[in-house]
Amino acid sequence: MTFDWLVVWNNIGALLDGVKVTIFLAVATMAIAVPGGILLAVMRISGIRVLSAIATAFTELFRNVPLILVIYMAYYELPVMSGLSASPLVTGLIALSLNVSAYNGETFRAGIASIRKSQSEAAYALGMSPWQAFRIVVLPQAIKRVLPVLASTWISLFKDTSLVSVISVGELSYAATRVRAQTFRVLEVLTAMAAIYWVLGYPQAKLVDWINHRWGRAE
Amino acid sequence: MEFDWSPVLDNASFLLGGLELTLALSLCSVVMSLLVGTAIGLLRHYGPRPLQLAIAFYVDSMRAIPVLVVLVWTYFALPILTGAVLPPFWAALVALTVHIAAYVAEIVRAGVSSIRKGQLWAASALGMSLWQALRTVILPQAVVRMLPAFGSVISIAIKDTAIASVIAVPEYMNRSQTVAGQTFHPIEIFTVAVAVYFLILFPVTRIVDFAYGRLAHLGRS
Repeated sequence: MTFDWLVVWNNIGALLDGVKVTIFLAVATMAIAVPGGILLAVMRISGIRVLSAIATAFTELFRNVPLILVIYMAYYELPVMSGLSASPLVTGLIALSLNVSAYNGETFRAGIASIRKSQSEAAYALGMSPWQAFRIVVLPQAIKRVLPVLASTWISLFKDTSLVSVISVGELSYAATRVRAQTFRVLEVLTAMAAIYWVLGYPQAKLVDWINHRWGRAE
Repeated sequence: MEFDWSPVLDNASFLLGGLELTLALSLCSVVMSLLVGTAIGLLRHYGPRPLQLAIAFYVDSMRAIPVLVVLVWTYFALPILTGAVLPPFWAALVALTVHIAAYVAEIVRAGVSSIRKGQLWAASALGMSLWQALRTVILPQAVVRMLPAFGSVISIAIKDTAIASVIAVPEYMNRSQTVAGQTFHPIEIFTVAVAVYFLILFPVTRIVDFAYGRLAHLGRS
């Protein structure tokens, strides 16, 4: 058995291009899913039946269906529903955002619920409107409190971006699949892919531990 | 938009065969992950220092590497290294267990370390061995505390079996893709798939939550 690790080095450019797309997908998804999650949480606690029912249905649906299926659904459904043909990258981004928004919605809901009611009441007593009280008093504390959970979600998201390779988005695992097909060096390329994910993900996992240690609340 | 559900009905037995495999793979992965993960978690907490460090490295590595990568590596790369070719189902079971056991290990470690140390000391003072203390004092309380986290792990494991479709395990996701490709009715096929997975996953998480609600008092000390 001979290994040819030079293959990895010769194709490092293609793999690093994949890394760029992976990072872009993770960042862009989080940028959409944090506001999306806050919106869902606000809908859930709004007290308006219709809104909270929609948010609940959305959350339960996307938390109880495999992400890979959501990705396929988005791939086939979006062009039919919107009449537009979105690029695989945009389709993948939408599918990931739907999934992560559902998780963030639950996270923010728990975070907001953990801020004592007397804080809003004190804000009302100072003459703030409910929206002001929420925005100025409750939300900043809730965000701080859910930071460790958001960090864990980030790690999951970073790994889950690999799933959009099934609709040919050119992120790291898709790039590795192509290099593998071109070079026939299966072991070397797949090991390199795993190693690259490890190098990117390991420090992040450690950082999450630190954030948990620093800001996490023991119950 | 016109829907035609006949492709789903025409291929019902083919899809049901996939569903069977999804359930089998889910059950096997969950059981294996819980067993292996519990052993690893206990070793990380009570084992010798070098072993603890090695396990910590394994757990953090699994947190860093996507399950898709573990699956693909186990199926395509491992046979080159070892010469032993695993059929897709077994490769998927090995990969999912290796990945999910790491999460279980963390949960077990957190659960066990949440039981106050005084309890272990008290058990030791009564002449119990570590194993006896674990079995009769620590674990019965810790397991109840771990229930909600186990619930999420079971849900994650079932969802992860769908990713095994990429290494051609003919489970429900894989068969849905096949039927979608053959009939050109992907929307109907995948809509049914969403319903199928939802109907499996939603009750699982609810049952675990319900059980925890009933048993939570047993975990208090």
